[in-house]
Amino acid sequence: MKGIKSMKKSALAAFVVLAAAAIPTVAQQMKAENQVKYRRAAYQLMNLNFSNLEAMAENKKPFNKDEAARNAEFVTLLSTVPKGFFGEGTDKDTRAKPEIWKNRPDFDARMDKMTNEAAKLPAVVKTGDMAAFKKQVHDLGEACKACHDEYRAKQQ
Amino acid sequence: VKPATLTIRVWDLPTRIFHWFVAVLVVFSIVTGKIGGSWLEWHMRSGYAILTLVLFRLAWGIVGSETSRFASFLRGPAAFFRYAGDIVGRRHRAVIGHNPMGGWMVLFMLLLLLAQASSGLFADDEIATQGPLAVKVSNALVAKMTAFHYYNGWTLIGAVFLHVIAIAAYWMAWRDNRVAPMWTGRREMDGDGTQPELRATWIAALILASSAGFVYWLVVVYPRA
Repeated sequence: MKGIKSMKKSALAAFVVLAAAAIPTVAQQMKAENQVKYRRAAYQLMNLNFSNLEAMAENKKPFNKDEAARNAEFVTLLSTVPKGFFGEGTDKDTRAKPEIWKNRPDFDARMDKMTNEAAKLPAVVKTGDMAAFKKQVHDLGEACKACHDEYRAKQQ
Repeated sequence: VKPATLTIRVWDLPTRIFHWFVAVLVVFSIVTGKIGGSWLEWHMRSGYAILTLVLFRLAWGIVGSETSRFASFLRGPAAFFRYAGDIVGRRHRAVIGHNPMGGWMVLFMLLLLLAQASSGLFADDEIATQGPLAVKVSNALVAKMTAFHYYNGWTLIGAVFLHVIAIAAYWMAWRDNRVAPMWTGRREMDGDGTQPELRATWIAALILASSAGFVYWLVVVYPRA
Protein backbone atom coordinates (compact mmCIF):
# COMPACT_ATOMS: atom_id res chain seq x y z
CA MET A 1 0.00 0.00 0.00
CA LYS A 2 2.72 2.39 1.08
CA GLY A 3 4.68 1.64 -2.07
CA ILE A 4 1.73 2.37 -4.31
CA LYS A 5 0.94 5.53 -2.43
CA SER A 6 4.49 6.85 -2.72
CA MET A 7 4.60 5.81 -6.40
CA LYS A 8 1.41 7.73 -6.93
CA LYS A 9 2.96 10.61 -5.12
CA SER A 10 6.12 10.64 -7.22
CA ALA A 11 4.01 10.30 -10.33
CA LEU A 12 2.03 13.31 -9.22
CA ALA A 13 5.23 15.20 -8.44
CA ALA A 14 6.62 14.35 -11.86
CA PHE A 15 3.39 15.52 -13.44
CA VAL A 16 3.53 18.82 -11.55
CA VAL A 17 7.10 19.43 -12.69
CA LEU A 18 6.26 18.53 -16.29
CA ALA A 19 3.08 20.57 -16.29
CA ALA A 20 4.77 23.56 -14.76
CA ALA A 21 7.58 23.26 -17.29
CA ALA A 22 5.22 22.78 -20.19
CA ILE A 23 2.80 25.61 -19.41
CA PRO A 24 4.98 28.61 -20.35
CA THR A 25 5.76 27.20 -23.80
CA VAL A 26 2.13 26.37 -24.37
CA ALA A 27 1.02 29.80 -23.17
CA GLN A 28 3.29 31.61 -25.58
CA GLN A 29 1.34 30.24 -28.48
CA MET A 30 -2.02 30.57 -26.83
CA LYS A 31 -4.27 33.50 -27.61
CA ALA A 32 -4.68 36.09 -24.89
CA GLU A 33 -8.34 35.33 -24.30
CA ASN A 34 -7.60 31.71 -23.47
CA GLN A 35 -4.65 32.55 -21.25
CA VAL A 36 -7.03 34.66 -19.19
CA LYS A 37 -9.55 31.83 -19.18
CA TYR A 38 -7.09 29.24 -17.86
CA ARG A 39 -5.44 31.42 -15.23
CA ARG A 40 -8.89 32.38 -13.96
CA ALA A 41 -9.89 28.74 -13.79
CA ALA A 42 -6.80 28.03 -11.71
CA TYR A 43 -7.40 30.99 -9.40
CA GLN A 44 -11.04 30.06 -8.90
CA LEU A 45 -10.25 26.48 -7.96
CA MET A 46 -7.47 27.73 -5.69
CA ASN A 47 -9.98 30.05 -4.03
CA LEU A 48 -12.38 27.14 -3.49
CA ASN A 49 -9.75 24.91 -1.92
CA PHE A 50 -7.99 27.63 0.02
CA SER A 51 -11.27 28.94 1.48
CA ASN A 52 -11.91 25.50 2.91
CA LEU A 53 -8.44 25.45 4.48
CA GLU A 54 -8.98 28.93 5.89
CA ALA A 55 -12.29 27.80 7.42
CA MET A 56 -10.50 24.88 9.12
CA ALA A 57 -7.62 27.10 10.24
CA GLU A 58 -10.09 29.51 11.82
CA ASN A 59 -12.08 26.71 13.50
CA LYS A 60 -15.15 27.59 11.47
CA LYS A 61 -15.32 23.93 10.62
CA PRO A 62 -13.61 20.92 12.18
CA PHE A 63 -10.13 20.06 10.93
CA ASN A 64 -10.24 16.97 8.77
CA LYS A 65 -6.76 15.83 7.81
CA ASP A 66 -7.72 13.97 4.63
CA GLU A 67 -9.90 16.75 3.39
CA ALA A 68 -7.27 19.35 4.25
CA ALA A 69 -4.53 17.32 2.55
CA ARG A 70 -6.60 17.12 -0.61
CA ASN A 71 -7.27 20.87 -0.53
CA ALA A 72 -3.59 21.57 0.11
CA GLU A 73 -2.44 19.41 -2.78
CA PHE A 74 -4.88 21.11 -5.12
CA VAL A 75 -3.69 24.54 -3.99
CA THR A 76 -0.03 23.56 -4.43
CA LEU A 77 -0.63 22.21 -7.91
CA LEU A 78 -2.90 25.02 -9.05
CA SER A 79 -0.59 27.71 -7.66
CA THR A 80 1.95 26.90 -10.37
CA VAL A 81 -0.54 27.49 -13.18
CA PRO A 82 -1.25 31.26 -13.43
CA LYS A 83 2.34 32.45 -13.89
CA GLY A 84 2.52 30.94 -17.34
CA PHE A 85 -0.71 32.59 -18.46
CA PHE A 86 0.25 36.21 -18.01
CA GLY A 87 1.61 36.74 -21.54
CA GLU A 88 1.75 40.16 -23.17
CA GLY A 89 -1.66 41.58 -23.99
CA THR A 90 -3.55 39.52 -21.42
CA ASP A 91 -4.76 42.53 -19.44
CA LYS A 92 -7.75 43.20 -21.72
CA ASP A 93 -11.10 42.94 -19.94
CA THR A 94 -9.41 41.83 -16.73
CA ARG A 95 -8.44 43.51 -13.46
CA ALA A 96 -4.79 42.68 -14.12
CA LYS A 97 -2.95 46.01 -14.03
CA PRO A 98 -0.62 46.96 -16.92
CA GLU A 99 2.12 47.39 -14.28
CA ILE A 100 2.52 43.61 -14.33
CA TRP A 101 4.30 43.85 -17.66
CA LYS A 102 6.25 46.95 -16.66
CA ASN A 103 7.55 45.40 -13.43
CA ARG A 104 7.76 41.84 -14.59
CA PRO A 105 10.63 40.76 -12.29
CA ASP A 106 8.76 42.04 -9.23
CA PHE A 107 5.52 40.45 -10.34
CA ASP A 108 7.29 37.15 -10.93
CA ALA A 109 8.98 37.36 -7.53
CA ARG A 110 5.61 37.82 -5.82
CA MET A 111 4.14 34.99 -7.84
CA ASP A 112 7.05 32.71 -6.88
CA LYS A 113 6.68 33.66 -3.22
CA MET A 114 3.03 32.58 -3.41
CA THR A 115 3.94 29.32 -5.14
CA ASN A 116 6.61 28.61 -2.51
CA GLU A 117 4.22 29.23 0.37
CA ALA A 118 1.62 27.02 -1.29
CA ALA A 119 4.19 24.24 -1.77
CA LYS A 120 4.75 24.07 2.02
CA LEU A 121 1.07 23.48 2.75
CA PRO A 122 0.62 19.73 2.16
CA ALA A 123 3.50 18.75 4.46
CA VAL A 124 2.24 21.06 7.20
CA VAL A 125 -1.27 19.62 6.91
CA LYS A 126 0.09 16.09 7.28
CA THR A 127 1.84 16.91 10.56
CA GLY A 128 -1.57 17.85 11.98
CA ASP A 129 0.10 20.65 13.94
CA MET A 130 -2.70 23.22 14.09
CA ALA A 131 -0.47 26.16 15.02
CA ALA A 132 1.84 25.48 12.08
CA PHE A 133 -1.15 24.89 9.81
CA LYS A 134 -2.71 28.18 10.84
CA LYS A 135 0.56 30.00 10.26
CA GLN A 136 1.04 28.49 6.81
CA VAL A 137 -2.51 29.36 5.75
CA HIS A 138 -1.85 32.88 7.00
CA ASP A 139 1.48 33.17 5.14
CA LEU A 140 -0.03 31.95 1.90
CA GLY A 141 -2.93 34.39 2.27
CA GLU A 142 -0.43 37.21 2.75
CA ALA A 143 1.45 36.13 -0.36
CA CYS A 144 -1.78 36.17 -2.38
CA LYS A 145 -2.67 39.61 -1.06
CA ALA A 146 0.79 41.04 -1.73
CA CYS A 147 0.16 40.56 -5.45
CA HIS A 148 -3.50 41.63 -5.42
CA ASP A 149 -2.64 44.88 -3.62
CA GLU A 150 -0.07 45.81 -6.22
CA TYR A 151 -1.15 44.29 -9.49
CA ARG A 152 -4.89 43.74 -9.33
CA ALA A 153 -7.34 46.60 -9.82
CA LYS A 154 -10.07 47.00 -7.22
CA GLN A 155 -13.56 45.88 -8.10
CA GLN A 156 -15.68 48.67 -9.54
CA VAL B 1 -19.70 89.14 37.57
CA LYS B 2 -18.82 85.58 36.75
CA PRO B 3 -21.97 83.49 36.56
CA ALA B 4 -22.22 80.43 38.75
CA THR B 5 -21.26 77.18 37.09
CA LEU B 6 -23.64 74.33 37.08
CA THR B 7 -22.98 70.70 36.37
CA ILE B 8 -25.21 69.05 33.80
CA ARG B 9 -25.38 65.37 33.06
CA VAL B 10 -25.13 65.59 29.27
CA TRP B 11 -24.54 62.05 28.07
CA ASP B 12 -26.14 58.96 29.52
CA LEU B 13 -24.06 55.86 30.18
CA PRO B 14 -25.36 53.85 27.17
CA THR B 15 -24.43 56.62 24.73
CA ARG B 16 -20.96 56.90 26.23
CA ILE B 17 -20.38 53.17 26.17
CA PHE B 18 -21.59 53.12 22.58
CA HIS B 19 -19.26 55.92 21.60
CA TRP B 20 -16.04 54.53 23.05
CA PHE B 21 -16.64 50.96 21.99
CA VAL B 22 -17.35 52.09 18.45
CA ALA B 23 -14.26 54.32 18.47
CA VAL B 24 -11.99 51.45 19.50
CA LEU B 25 -13.68 48.92 17.19
CA VAL B 26 -13.51 51.25 14.17
CA VAL B 27 -9.75 51.70 14.61
CA PHE B 28 -9.36 47.96 15.10
CA SER B 29 -11.47 47.27 11.99
CA ILE B 30 -9.46 49.67 9.84
CA VAL B 31 -6.18 48.08 10.89
CA THR B 32 -7.31 44.45 10.52
CA GLY B 33 -9.08 45.24 7.25
CA LYS B 34 -5.96 46.73 5.73
CA ILE B 35 -3.71 43.89 6.94
CA GLY B 36 -6.19 41.35 5.63
CA GLY B 37 -5.49 37.61 5.48
CA SER B 38 -6.31 35.73 8.67
CA TRP B 39 -6.97 39.04 10.45
CA LEU B 40 -10.17 39.28 8.44
CA GLU B 41 -11.74 36.84 10.89
CA TRP B 42 -11.23 39.45 13.61
CA HIS B 43 -12.22 42.19 11.21
CA MET B 44 -15.54 40.42 10.71
CA ARG B 45 -16.16 39.89 14.41
CA SER B 46 -15.42 43.55 15.01
CA GLY B 47 -17.86 44.43 12.23
CA TYR B 48 -20.63 42.35 13.83
CA ALA B 49 -20.04 44.18 17.11
CA ILE B 50 -20.18 47.55 15.35
CA LEU B 51 -23.37 46.57 13.55
CA THR B 52 -24.90 45.55 16.89
CA LEU B 53 -23.89 48.85 18.49
CA VAL B 54 -25.08 50.97 15.56
CA LEU B 55 -28.49 49.27 15.49
CA PHE B 56 -28.71 49.91 19.22
CA ARG B 57 -27.76 53.57 18.73
CA LEU B 58 -30.35 54.08 15.98
CA ALA B 59 -33.05 52.74 18.31
CA TRP B 60 -31.66 54.81 21.21
CA GLY B 61 -31.95 57.79 18.89
CA ILE B 62 -35.70 57.26 18.97
CA VAL B 63 -36.43 56.08 22.51
CA GLY B 64 -33.27 57.10 24.37
CA SER B 65 -32.32 60.05 26.53
CA GLU B 66 -33.06 63.56 25.31
CA THR B 67 -29.50 64.36 24.22
CA SER B 68 -29.32 61.07 22.29
CA ARG B 69 -32.61 61.45 20.42
CA PHE B 70 -32.52 62.42 16.75
CA ALA B 71 -35.66 64.50 17.15
CA SER B 72 -33.90 66.70 19.68
CA PHE B 73 -30.55 67.19 17.93
CA LEU B 74 -31.35 67.07 14.20
CA ARG B 75 -32.14 70.72 13.63
CA GLY B 76 -33.47 72.54 10.59
CA PRO B 77 -31.45 74.62 8.12
CA ALA B 78 -32.03 77.88 10.01
CA ALA B 79 -30.42 76.58 13.20
CA PHE B 80 -27.72 74.83 11.17
CA PHE B 81 -26.67 77.97 9.31
CA ARG B 82 -26.93 80.19 12.36
CA TYR B 83 -24.54 77.87 14.19
CA ALA B 84 -22.26 77.69 11.14
CA GLY B 85 -22.26 81.48 11.07
CA ASP B 86 -21.21 81.55 14.72
CA ILE B 87 -18.36 79.18 14.02
CA VAL B 88 -17.19 81.25 11.05
CA GLY B 89 -17.52 84.42 13.14
CA ARG B 90 -15.47 82.73 15.91
CA ARG B 91 -18.36 83.07 18.37
CA HIS B 92 -18.44 80.26 20.87
CA ARG B 93 -21.82 78.88 21.81
CA ALA B 94 -21.98 76.31 24.59
CA VAL B 95 -24.55 73.68 23.71
CA ILE B 96 -25.86 70.89 25.90
CA GLY B 97 -25.58 67.78 23.74
CA HIS B 98 -24.96 67.84 19.99
CA ASN B 99 -24.82 71.24 18.34
CA PRO B 100 -26.91 71.93 15.20
CA MET B 101 -23.99 71.04 12.89
CA GLY B 102 -22.54 68.19 14.93
CA GLY B 103 -25.94 66.51 15.13
CA TRP B 104 -26.01 65.95 11.38
CA MET B 105 -22.45 64.67 11.51
CA VAL B 106 -23.59 62.09 14.09
CA LEU B 107 -26.35 60.85 11.80
CA PHE B 108 -23.97 60.86 8.83
CA MET B 109 -21.37 58.77 10.68
CA LEU B 110 -24.01 56.34 11.97
CA LEU B 111 -25.29 55.81 8.43
CA LEU B 112 -21.74 55.38 7.12
CA LEU B 113 -21.10 52.78 9.82
CA LEU B 114 -24.37 51.00 9.07
CA ALA B 115 -23.54 50.92 5.36
CA GLN B 116 -19.99 49.78 6.05
CA ALA B 117 -20.93 46.96 8.41
CA SER B 118 -23.83 45.82 6.21
CA SER B 119 -21.84 45.79 2.97
CA GLY B 120 -19.12 43.82 4.71
CA LEU B 121 -21.59 40.99 5.32
CA PHE B 122 -21.70 40.45 1.54
CA ALA B 123 -18.04 41.16 0.75
CA ASP B 124 -15.43 38.72 -0.55
CA ASP B 125 -11.65 39.26 -0.35
CA GLU B 126 -11.20 36.82 -3.27
CA ILE B 127 -8.55 34.87 -1.38
CA ALA B 128 -10.17 32.84 1.36
CA THR B 129 -12.65 34.99 3.26
CA GLN B 130 -16.26 35.90 2.61
CA GLY B 131 -18.84 37.79 4.57
CA PRO B 132 -21.52 35.47 5.99
CA LEU B 133 -24.22 36.61 3.55
CA ALA B 134 -22.11 36.40 0.38
CA VAL B 135 -23.40 32.86 -0.21
CA LYS B 136 -26.98 34.16 -0.23
CA VAL B 137 -26.71 36.61 -3.13
CA SER B 138 -25.46 36.74 -6.72
CA ASN B 139 -21.75 37.11 -7.45
CA ALA B 140 -22.50 40.38 -9.24
CA LEU B 141 -23.90 41.78 -6.01
CA VAL B 142 -20.97 40.39 -4.01
CA ALA B 143 -18.60 42.26 -6.36
CA LYS B 144 -20.60 45.48 -5.96
CA MET B 145 -20.71 45.14 -2.17
CA THR B 146 -16.97 44.43 -2.04
CA ALA B 147 -16.23 47.55 -4.08
CA PHE B 148 -18.61 49.61 -1.96
CA HIS B 149 -17.09 48.27 1.26
CA TYR B 150 -13.67 49.38 0.05
CA TYR B 151 -14.59 52.92 -1.05
CA ASN B 152 -17.06 53.57 1.76
CA GLY B 153 -14.28 52.56 4.15
CA TRP B 154 -12.24 55.53 2.96
CA THR B 155 -15.26 57.84 3.30
CA LEU B 156 -15.64 56.60 6.86
CA ILE B 157 -11.97 57.22 7.61
CA GLY B 158 -12.40 60.75 6.23
CA ALA B 159 -15.48 61.34 8.41
CA VAL B 160 -13.64 60.10 11.50
CA PHE B 161 -10.78 62.50 10.79
CA LEU B 162 -13.22 65.39 10.36
CA HIS B 163 -14.88 64.45 13.65
CA VAL B 164 -11.58 64.35 15.54
CA ILE B 165 -10.40 67.61 13.95
CA ALA B 166 -13.64 69.33 15.00
CA ILE B 167 -13.24 68.12 18.59
CA ALA B 168 -9.62 69.29 18.62
CA ALA B 169 -10.66 72.67 17.15
CA TYR B 170 -13.13 73.32 19.99
CA TRP B 171 -10.35 72.75 22.45
CA MET B 172 -7.79 74.86 20.62
CA ALA B 173 -10.12 77.77 19.81
CA TRP B 174 -12.15 77.96 23.01
CA ARG B 175 -10.66 75.50 25.50
CA ASP B 176 -13.98 73.72 25.20
CA ASN B 177 -13.27 70.15 26.26
CA ARG B 178 -15.64 67.83 24.40
CA VAL B 179 -13.83 64.64 25.32
CA ALA B 180 -14.28 64.76 29.10
CA PRO B 181 -18.13 64.97 28.98
CA MET B 182 -18.21 61.98 26.64
CA TRP B 183 -16.15 60.08 29.22
CA THR B 184 -17.72 61.26 32.50
CA GLY B 185 -21.14 62.22 31.16
CA ARG B 186 -20.95 65.58 32.92
CA ARG B 187 -20.33 69.04 31.68
CA GLU B 188 -19.93 72.33 33.52
CA MET B 189 -22.12 75.10 32.16
CA ASP B 190 -21.75 78.77 32.91
CA GLY B 191 -25.09 80.23 33.89
CA ASP B 192 -28.19 78.78 32.36
CA GLY B 193 -28.77 75.19 31.41
CA THR B 194 -31.57 72.76 31.87
CA GLN B 195 -30.81 69.20 32.85
CA PRO B 196 -31.84 67.01 29.90
CA GLU B 197 -34.12 64.11 30.59
CA LEU B 198 -32.12 60.86 30.79
CA ARG B 199 -33.61 57.40 30.29
CA ALA B 200 -32.91 54.37 32.43
CA THR B 201 -29.90 52.24 31.49
CA TRP B 202 -31.85 48.98 31.67
CA ILE B 203 -33.94 50.05 28.68
CA ALA B 204 -30.71 50.48 26.74
CA ALA B 205 -29.50 47.07 27.90
CA LEU B 206 -32.70 45.51 26.63
CA ILE B 207 -32.34 47.17 23.22
CA LEU B 208 -28.67 46.20 23.01
CA ALA B 209 -29.52 42.59 23.81
CA SER B 210 -32.19 42.52 21.08
CA SER B 211 -29.78 44.09 18.65
CA ALA B 212 -27.11 41.50 19.47
CA GLY B 213 -29.67 38.73 19.06
CA PHE B 214 -30.67 40.00 15.64
CA VAL B 215 -27.06 40.28 14.46
CA TYR B 216 -26.33 36.76 15.75
CA TRP B 217 -29.30 35.47 13.77
CA LEU B 218 -28.16 37.43 10.70
CA VAL B 219 -24.53 36.25 10.64
CA VAL B 220 -24.74 32.80 12.22
CA VAL B 221 -28.23 31.30 12.04
CA TYR B 222 -29.59 32.67 8.75
CA PRO B 223 -26.53 31.86 6.55
CA ARG B 224 -26.82 28.19 7.54
CA ALA B 225 -30.54 28.03 6.93
